[in-house]
Amino acid sequence: MESHLRELEKKSIAIIREAKAQFKNPAVLWSTGKDSTATLWLCKKAFFGKIPFPVIHIDTSYQFPEIYEFRDKIAKDWGLNLLIAKNEKALEKGRSPEKGRFECCTELKTEALKTMIKERNFDALILAIRRDEHGIRAKERYYSPRDENFRWDYKDQPAELWDLYVKPSEDYSHMRVHPILHWTELDVWLYVKQEQLPINPLYYARDGKRYRSLGCMPCTVPIPSTASNIDEIIKELETSKTPERAGRAQDKEKAYMMQKLRSLGYM
Amino acid sequence: MIILALDALDLHQVKKFNCKNLMQTEYGQTDISNFKQERTVVLWASFLTGRNMEKEIPIKTQWEFQLSPEQTFLRFFKTHKTVDMPTLSYKQQNHVEERKLLKGYFEDKATVEEYETVIWRNHEENKKEFFGNLEKFDLVVGYFNLADSIGHLSFGITEKMAEVYRELDQIANEVRDSSNPILIISDHGMKAVGRYGDHTRNGFYSFNRKLRLSFPKITSFHNLIKRIAENERS
Repeated sequence: MESHLRELEKKSIAIIREAKAQFKNPAVLWSTGKDSTATLWLCKKAFFGKIPFPVIHIDTSYQFPEIYEFRDKIAKDWGLNLLIAKNEKALEKGRSPEKGRFECCTELKTEALKTMIKERNFDALILAIRRDEHGIRAKERYYSPRDENFRWDYKDQPAELWDLYVKPSEDYSHMRVHPILHWTELDVWLYVKQEQLPINPLYYARDGKRYRSLGCMPCTVPIPSTASNIDEIIKELETSKTPERAGRAQDKEKAYMMQKLRSLGYM
Repeated sequence: MIILALDALDLHQVKKFNCKNLMQTEYGQTDISNFKQERTVVLWASFLTGRNMEKEIPIKTQWEFQLSPEQTFLRFFKTHKTVDMPTLSYKQQNHVEERKLLKGYFEDKATVEEYETVIWRNHEENKKEFFGNLEKFDLVVGYFNLADSIGHLSFGITEKMAEVYRELDQIANEVRDSSNPILIISDHGMKAVGRYGDHTRNGFYSFNRKLRLSFPKITSFHNLIKRIAENERS
């Protein structure tokens, strides 16, 4: 194993084991994308092949068919305790991205997850976010407390000195645990290659385009690319200057701003 | 008296861009903590009337909300002129066009450049009217929404905001030699959300005389202006 990947893996596994030891009822979020699939693999490795907590997939019903196929196959192959978080009520009422992307995300993702956390009393969620994804994520810690409305106060986070991941006071609803926070997009692909992890076919180029980041169908656009296998993706990333999430039409800041301007009466 | 009503002028940004003309003899942050939201029309109406008007101004029709001069501190002055002031002389046509382009940007129907062209054009129009009326009235109020409008789409882009603050500082520079009392005030402040800008409570005030105010409520300027008007008359 490449030494820097070994170091990354070692730290991630330590964080996952710490989380399992410190929290009574953790779960891991899985979008079926490369980052969360690599995180699931790390969870498997951390506990010798069997993930000892539930795996949550948020189903908006607007995801690509390949996502559902991939999810069901891996869940079966890896023996996952898969839980599906779905806001059926909002879907019945016709909630869709066309009627507002921000509201759609809030209801179909955030509310669905909130309900699942409440129903199952999860006190920690393992998430596959990375610092290099977005400016605001650079402020994240490995242990990141959230209140009942999922709010995160980045100015009030526990210090993580000498790799000590400590539960803060009880003044939080649940803890977000980020075991691959220190990885880069390229690290993940190198790890996928090294571990020969299964990967969603949407990442591979078809007709000159591929998906670099997976989301819901109406809100995700492919990037121009000819990379049709992992080696070619790695080569492409080594020279790319485009941000990973550039293909996500669901730009959270833009959506937030639009929502905020609406609430202030500008639109 | 001269009042520069500068929408979304933010105390931190004034300091950051070292806007010496905006920072007059006394300057600081206004207190808008008793408002639930930082709504432009509500805050300006409350500034003008001296009372919290949040409940009286419905969000849906806020831009058309009108006050009569008698309801505001304008009544303390014999002659007065307001330029584009919300709830008084607000140029509906101009602002409807601005908001249409703002909405268009979020719906991918308009570009930032198209939006900003209209903002700067309207700003220049207001500037001309404002300077053309100085010294002709006992009170001249000039409203400029440049920092708010440009800020909503580009607050995170430092070069662009530096240009906006330079422009507003230049306006303050052009009135600073006046012997009149000059109040510079904003309704709220702004913070970056990525490239965008969101309202905050870091509003700004500055005065060309020492008042020794400490974190004044935006509604408290009403009585202060009344006292100034009485002093000017006597």
